[in-house]
Amino acid sequence: MIRAIAASHYLHPVREDEALPSLDTALQPLCREHFRRIDRFIQLALLGSARCVAGHRLAVDCGLYLGSGLGPMSNNISTQEQLIRDHLTPKPFNFINTLGNSAGYYVAKNLGLSGPNLFISRRGASFQAALETALVDLECGTSRQALVGVVEEVTLPLAAHRRRQGLSVDTVVAEGSHWLLLETDAVTGHRLERRQALRHESEMLDVPAFHDSIAAAGVTENVSKGGEAVLADGWTLFHFRP
Amino acid sequence: MPVGIRGVGLCCALGVDAPASVATLLAGGGAPHRVTLEGLADSVEAAYFRIADGAPLFDPGRFERLIPPVVQAAVAEAGLSAAERRALPVYLGSSCFSIGLSESSYEAALRQGATDASPMPHCGYGYLSELARRAAGSEGPTFTYNTACTSAANALLGAIRALASGRYPHALVLGAELANRTTLTGFAGLQLLAERVRPFVAERNGIVLGEGIGAVLLSAEPGAGEYLLHGGASNCDGFSVTTANPDGESVAAALRQALDSTGTAEVRGIRAHGTATPTGDMAEALGLRKVFRELPAISVLKPYLGHTLGACGLTELVLYLGALRQGALPAAEPGTPDPQLEVQVLDRQAEARPGRYLLNHFGFGGNNTVLVLEKP
Repeated sequence: MIRAIAASHYLHPVREDEALPSLDTALQPLCREHFRRIDRFIQLALLGSARCVAGHRLAVDCGLYLGSGLGPMSNNISTQEQLIRDHLTPKPFNFINTLGNSAGYYVAKNLGLSGPNLFISRRGASFQAALETALVDLECGTSRQALVGVVEEVTLPLAAHRRRQGLSVDTVVAEGSHWLLLETDAVTGHRLERRQALRHESEMLDVPAFHDSIAAAGVTENVSKGGEAVLADGWTLFHFRP
Repeated sequence: MPVGIRGVGLCCALGVDAPASVATLLAGGGAPHRVTLEGLADSVEAAYFRIADGAPLFDPGRFERLIPPVVQAAVAEAGLSAAERRALPVYLGSSCFSIGLSESSYEAALRQGATDASPMPHCGYGYLSELARRAAGSEGPTFTYNTACTSAANALLGAIRALASGRYPHALVLGAELANRTTLTGFAGLQLLAERVRPFVAERNGIVLGEGIGAVLLSAEPGAGEYLLHGGASNCDGFSVTTANPDGESVAAALRQALDSTGTAEVRGIRAHGTATPTGDMAEALGLRKVFRELPAISVLKPYLGHTLGACGLTELVLYLGALRQGALPAAEPGTPDPQLEVQVLDRQAEARPGRYLLNHFGFGGNNTVLVLEKP
């Protein structure tokens, strides 16, 4: 029996002409050290993961499964701007942070984890892809705990952010960091059941990434409050029962 | 439960398909080209193992042309029915994804003076897996991994475990890496580029980048392939975001987990990661020596096709597998032994005997991944 024993969610809709809120103050008490040269995507991952596991004992081999449809967009944008527009070689940490799994490295370092550390993407169903991968690993006995999250970052200006994703000019966009802590031998927590989805929806791949963040927020918020939650993609249905 | 390798596809600096690439490897390999990036504040000139497809190196259409034949070779060899292909899940690992496409589009928009020119116009990670799905005739789910140089190896491990758990009967696994300016300038900025790849010897001083696309079609059906993948292990080292701990502890832990989880007692040979960086080879060598009292036969492939980064888990698997099928363990040019490492790479081809073989992969972000392959 696999159970979700903890959940956290951070969802911040970003309005026109609004600056992104600083995460420094919220992060400070959650980080075991002051991480330098990290970007907003890494900050969001640190924030959500640390909130999720607060008060829980983590196994050293707890697996980390980070999903994202877009990845570290603000860093990738500034790195490409410097290289293509300004003709400058990327700074080492800008280059390293273009990799999706750099965020997982800092989360693992912050939480003292040395198990599998994966960054997995599937556009608008990246949380589901990460969750499915974690479930397989738990069933295989790779570890008995898995920390599964999805992080989506909003970049400014919003017009360019929407244009990149093919969204209409009035689409509300949000940044988010939503996490679940799963355990195989827990006696309390939400039971996680998985079954094949009833209908096939391969077009799920075309759903904008932030929709996944909103779906994940619904799950993690419901699990946090003790409610029931269902998450589906085109192939699998995940059911969280209190 | 092990899974069978039922089909392979490959395109790399050694050749445009798997048989040609393996033949070139066993004949002694090729040589890197030279790449020059001008117009930068600090211009970059480097050795580079490119695919000889005749196209300009940064041509944004190369993935669309190069991925389908590699995928179709793996799928055709497997002989799947149309229904089986439709249900195929696609596991993909890459470091670059569509970054090169974005670079070209953004550069063109700037050149044209477009007022809405924005960096990263092609965002996200779905482009390559969608190309692979289309080429395979698949409507199945995709799992796209971005864990630096272990990306394709982790995609393989994910697919092996999903098949072993009964989720799917078959899976397509792909590794893809093509030249782009971000990667070339990024590694140049890290001062990790060298003129030659000399793993585990005293003369080693860095990597030579390369490009490649590799694919395997895995099957959980009994008797689906002579060569089997038994799974392996993946862990995370918090020592540094750019390298495994040079003391070899986290590498040794990944090796032990891989051996324990697959019940592997005797190892015939190891395809080492062997990047030829001073600290990377140190971590791998010390890790190997902590686990093996007597080292199995060590082969390295990066001297022949370069470091194909996120794709190396697939490109080097297909090459190593091809060599094993011909009964040979690949060798590399000898150098001055490094007394700190005490790892001797095969300097002449040796006989590949039936048994278990390990494939090592280490990457930025602290990722260590070890896979176990069985030759019948």
